[in-house]
Amino acid sequence: MTSKLAKPVVRQVKPLLSLDKEEARKRALNLYKAWYRQIPYIVRDSYLPKSVEQCRAKLREEFEKHRNLTDIRVIDMLVIKGQMELKSCANKWSQSCHIMNFFKESYEQKPKDFLSKFMDGRP
Amino acid sequence: MLRTPLHRALLPCVREALSVSRASASTAPEKIEVFIDDKRVLVEPGTTVLQAAALVGVEIPRFCYHERLAVAGNCRMCLVEVEKSPKPVAACAMPVMKGWRVKTNSEMTKKAREGVMEFLLVNHPLDCPICDQGGECDLQDQSMAFGSDRSRFTDIDHSGKRAVEDKDIGPLVKTIMTRCIHCTRCIRFASEVAGIDDLGTTGRGNDMQVGTYVEKMFLSELSGNIIDLCPVGALTSKPYSFTARPWETRKTESVDVHDAIGSNIVVSTRTGEVLRILPRVNEEVNEEWLSDKSRFAYDGLRRQRLISPMLKVGGQLAPVDWEDALVSCARALVEAGPHSAAIVGGLADAESLIALKDLFNRLGSEQLFTEEQFPVDGAATDLRSSYILNNKITGVEEADLILLVGTNPRFEAPLLNARIRKSYVHNELDIALIGPQLNLTYDYTHVGEGPDVLKQLVSESHPFARKLKAAKKPMIILGAQQLKRPDGAAILASVQQISQKLGKNKDGWKVLNVLQQTASQVAALDLGYKTNARSILENGSNPPKVLFLLGADEGVIQRSDLPASTYVIYQGHHGDVGASMADAVLPGATYTEKQGTYVNTEGRAQQTLVAVTPPGMAREDWKIIRALSEVSGYKLDFDTLAEVRLRLEQVAPNLVKYDEVEEANFFKEASELNKDASAKLGNESFDVKLKNLEDFYMTNSISRASETMAKCVQAVMKQKQSKYYEAQSA
Amino acid sequence: MASQLFRLAVRNTTQLPKIFSGKQLLQNCIRTSTTAVHGTSEKCDIPEIKPTSPEQRVTVRKYDAELRERLTDFGRYVAECLPRYVQRVQLTCGDELEILIAPEGILPVIMFLKCHHNAQYTNITDIAGMDVPSRMYRFEIIYNLLSVRYNSRIRVKTYTDELTPVDSICEIFKGANWYEREAWDMYGIFFSNHPDLRRILTDYGFEGHPQRRDFPLSGYVEVRFDDERKRVVAEPVELSQEFRKFDLSNPWEQFPNFRDAPPAAEEIPIPEPKK
Repeated sequence: MTSKLAKPVVRQVKPLLSLDKEEARKRALNLYKAWYRQIPYIVRDSYLPKSVEQCRAKLREEFEKHRNLTDIRVIDMLVIKGQMELKSCANKWSQSCHIMNFFKESYEQKPKDFLSKFMDGRP
Repeated sequence: MLRTPLHRALLPCVREALSVSRASASTAPEKIEVFIDDKRVLVEPGTTVLQAAALVGVEIPRFCYHERLAVAGNCRMCLVEVEKSPKPVAACAMPVMKGWRVKTNSEMTKKAREGVMEFLLVNHPLDCPICDQGGECDLQDQSMAFGSDRSRFTDIDHSGKRAVEDKDIGPLVKTIMTRCIHCTRCIRFASEVAGIDDLGTTGRGNDMQVGTYVEKMFLSELSGNIIDLCPVGALTSKPYSFTARPWETRKTESVDVHDAIGSNIVVSTRTGEVLRILPRVNEEVNEEWLSDKSRFAYDGLRRQRLISPMLKVGGQLAPVDWEDALVSCARALVEAGPHSAAIVGGLADAESLIALKDLFNRLGSEQLFTEEQFPVDGAATDLRSSYILNNKITGVEEADLILLVGTNPRFEAPLLNARIRKSYVHNELDIALIGPQLNLTYDYTHVGEGPDVLKQLVSESHPFARKLKAAKKPMIILGAQQLKRPDGAAILASVQQISQKLGKNKDGWKVLNVLQQTASQVAALDLGYKTNARSILENGSNPPKVLFLLGADEGVIQRSDLPASTYVIYQGHHGDVGASMADAVLPGATYTEKQGTYVNTEGRAQQTLVAVTPPGMAREDWKIIRALSEVSGYKLDFDTLAEVRLRLEQVAPNLVKYDEVEEANFFKEASELNKDASAKLGNESFDVKLKNLEDFYMTNSISRASETMAKCVQAVMKQKQSKYYEAQSA
Repeated sequence: MASQLFRLAVRNTTQLPKIFSGKQLLQNCIRTSTTAVHGTSEKCDIPEIKPTSPEQRVTVRKYDAELRERLTDFGRYVAECLPRYVQRVQLTCGDELEILIAPEGILPVIMFLKCHHNAQYTNITDIAGMDVPSRMYRFEIIYNLLSVRYNSRIRVKTYTDELTPVDSICEIFKGANWYEREAWDMYGIFFSNHPDLRRILTDYGFEGHPQRRDFPLSGYVEVRFDDERKRVVAEPVELSQEFRKFDLSNPWEQFPNFRDAPPAAEEIPIPEPKK
């Protein structure tokens, strides 16, 4: 039972970082820029078997994945996580294998259409 | 026969209660107020303490009591304290009295339970680690919950516990009689439900033994149920022995397909293997029993399986890839086009039936048949009332007269027979039979052997006709196998006429029932499959170029019937008759490996669930047909099970209304349409395929592949040599 | 009045009346508790938790009625002191005090419990998380505190969801730093103003928060050393063996003794403030 004195539980949104959309956009762009600038160092320092261009394409891809987001708090949360990721890359906490996981090279393609699923014996 | 003794003697209190409630039925039965652990509950007069306690959610421990068997009251585990009663009372046998205060957790109750438990354990071996019942043992569970927490058992002299010799009662039930606690559930089941008075007790006191008196087997088609009933590990499953513990198996709720009853089952699996099959309670179908074939034929699911697609190369079937097999089959189908035919067997699910039908219709062929034959004259299969069990299985309990025509329900549908017997024992049901003399486990009037009796019944010149007419709720059960006869249409028509006459003024009580033999038949007929498979041979000038067998293993069409140029495709799960005559084999899934719809003989749609994955390269059946359709260029427009079921719903909506019975109507019209046929009744007597117990065990490709079933047949044969065998008993 | 109560509540164990043995003690406790209850309810009209009857059953845990009484009074005192934040006070498992608060009040409540002279919960034992996806605020954050001075423990619970930040208590308790990092890593609960919020247990690049209910037991990826690439690679997890699931259900009632057992949590009613 909630006491009448305590704050009533209503769904009020507490901002994570940004107060409006513009701010969230700025934060996302800043993160993008930071990554963009950091990539050459990351490639060089952790001997990635990828070129800077490939990494930047991947960077763009990762950001594009979330381009349709509108909820400011979701964007903020992703920015926070991206920031942490960048920090661990820049500080060389992440090793090359961690970074290479972004490329998902070892992921096997799963059959999509009925016939190849059938041949493959997948449900 | 047990009828009177059980009826009158074994259930005195229940019967009394029933008659009390019946007597006061006209004046709304007054409910009695009792208190279970101070919780007030209103119950019908005659309710036992145990039942009243169950109403408030208190489960009183018991060993001998079972809802579906007569009350024995000999284990004493259900003793509870009743206020103002000097001694604890046996809750299972004692009807409640007004104002009783029952204490199920009092000191006296606890002490009584601990005492009983101590006595039971004095002679029960402590071999739980090697006992198959471990983990699902009532004795184990209850001694944990209600027994004393320390033992007074000291065996200083090492005299040992009581030891009893094990009995050999057949290849299905393993007995370790030392573990027996004499609850007599198995004895009561055998004499009341199975109708075989083979089990009993000998000796008294410490020397009491449960057994068969003389060395003989417990030959019943329902024998496996005593394993479930046994509260301890005295009776366990022989094929399942030392295989798994119940807590480590995965249970999948499914439906049985070995007969047309569609018993509800639970499939226990571990690491992709079916370990055992148990019944699932469904009051409307199988109650909580299961026939031995359904229960034990599961080892056939692993033997003789088709695990890879095969093509005939130089007269020999050789394993190939799916791609090659599909391409070859598709080429043959496309070339044949409208000159292709399909026959479906008794284990096909509705999903594959609709897929196959759609594919063949796209190819331009309407030649889709069921392996089970059914007359095509008159209304034939257009009206549903003429091929389902219209009264439903529960109807047996309401009926007061059943006429069996050319059927042996004991082996064709053991659980229907168990219902009939239940009704015979408890409800004064009378049974009559037209057909060969059989042992049905209950008394019946043998009216005649052949169709001539039907003729006389239609014209009401037979003495039995009067009895039929006098019955309030008569049921006629016609065996579907009689409809294969040349005069099948006439038999159906005469039975329809008799039922039509009897059904008048019975407000909605249907009389006509057809007992199907296979699990797929009703669904196939609902989907519009034809029934005269032999007709593809009759238009001799134009035999089918491709014959597609979907699990058709009964050999309705032999290879020798077909011209050498006919390309035979077999799709199914077992290397049986069908696969041996095929040019191409497509491995399918059994009922435990696919989610499929089956409609039982009542018209009840039920579904099986996936318990294990199909072995090797085998695939679910509708998927094979769907893939074949795509390869052959007549792509069917469904990719998922949900889409197939949507299509099923379009064709026959009742097939996706699971666990519901879609009732049939148009009885009169069906009878009218068939009227002309009734004149052509033959003279040959009815014959049933499954006459004896040994015929019962192996009836389809799964049970034919089962080693356990083969052992059962051998055991029955051996029993027949025995000097104790009575010809009537099995 | 409140301070009076409070003094009673946080009395040191050494100040307890002399301990009698066995039945005498129990009776004594009951008497004291009932009189105390009576006294307070007369004064400020508080509905009271019924004193539970002395537990006779061997298998059921017994509580110290005196301890319960003290905890009840202290819980009520906290609620009186911080009416803006405390939503509910309860006793779990008979003798564990829990303060359920609104997430905005985490700093003042923790500060109060740490610094108030009569509380002195100076030790943060740990911070736990709990995920109930069906709730509007799916995460519960549980702070376990210990007062060495009064030999007493208290539990503070609050709630949040995936996107609502909770104030970090690192300013108050330095020791909360890693606990909060752990909560962030395992549940994805975001703590604002945390000095160094980053993963603590999972591998770099790990996706998801493993303690969430919707995180699959087997995880999303498995790692192995790839001989061709000469490094560790991650792949979607594929189990060759199915999960073992044990079914331990039993048709018989296992613990009839616990049929009428008291609920896990008993609420302590919070008095209305005087106007």
